[in-house]
Amino acid sequence: MQSANTVQLDSHAAATLRYIRASMESAVSLAVPGSTGVASGIVGLLAAVVSSVPALRPHWLIIWLLAAAAAAGVGGALLLRQPSLSSLTIGGAPIRRFFIGLLPSLFAGAVMTWVLWTNAGERMIPGTWLLLYGCGLVAASAATTRAIGILGASFVAAGLLALVLPQAWQIAMLGVGFGGLHIVFGYLMGRAGHGRES
Amino acid sequence: MAAKAEARKTGAAAKRKRPKLAAVPAAAATADDAKFDRLIYERVRLGIMSALAVREELTFTELKALFDVSDGNLSAHARKLEEASYLTCTKSFEDRRPRSVYRITALGRNALHRYLDHVEAVIKATRRS
Repeated sequence: MQSANTVQLDSHAAATLRYIRASMESAVSLAVPGSTGVASGIVGLLAAVVSSVPALRPHWLIIWLLAAAAAAGVGGALLLRQPSLSSLTIGGAPIRRFFIGLLPSLFAGAVMTWVLWTNAGERMIPGTWLLLYGCGLVAASAATTRAIGILGASFVAAGLLALVLPQAWQIAMLGVGFGGLHIVFGYLMGRAGHGRES
Repeated sequence: MAAKAEARKTGAAAKRKRPKLAAVPAAAATADDAKFDRLIYERVRLGIMSALAVREELTFTELKALFDVSDGNLSAHARKLEEASYLTCTKSFEDRRPRSVYRITALGRNALHRYLDHVEAVIKATRRS
């Protein structure tokens, strides 16, 4: 009887620690700022505009790869700007889980880009990017908010649409996805996280 | 009768075998500290303190979303922690709507650490025994 009580006390204390850890992780996962999405979206829209210029159109892949690097840099800097987040979660569970969810899809995207580019499948690249990025966000949303999962699902839908649309629409779809979706969701997430009380 | 005697025998045997529990440091060292047990022990308040330990600040809306509690419930818990000086609350208006921002104080952080130490001590003691 006594040993059963002892186990209960032990497991209650362990459950308390788990609850504390879960509360901390949830609080950190809310820290993805909407500005990250808006900034990435602006980079995406700029890339769409630049790559739509007829003279630059043949170089659209390079333009978008540069835009991806710029968006990742700006977004990452904004994400880590918050002192409480950077001091406690670099390498910590939420950030690590986020990147573990996202990176496999980005890697697959890089491989597919090379495969499609070298096999005359250029038209399929935008749809593949949108689709895989969306899958990555859905997977990464386990470590963040539900909004990231919905954003990921929207990217998946945009990717599927891009795959069936003709070549002329591909740059526009990249703009809609990496520009428009990022900005809209970034704005909504920023509003939600701004703490307006009803 | 026989069953009762058997039960008494089993109980006595269990008493003889009962292991000694290791000493656990008290969570509250002084009488003044005693109230922190009751304050932090409650689940929502413990969650609020834990969340604020890893975030510089959290708004009322963010806390509400985190713990899925009603406005009134969250207000009551936050007020108790505020009254104990474990949290500070800054109220302002944004677009004519109230905005409350909570931050943990040094006193609150110490209280949370003491509570964590106590819980860990309980786990260690029960595993040793």
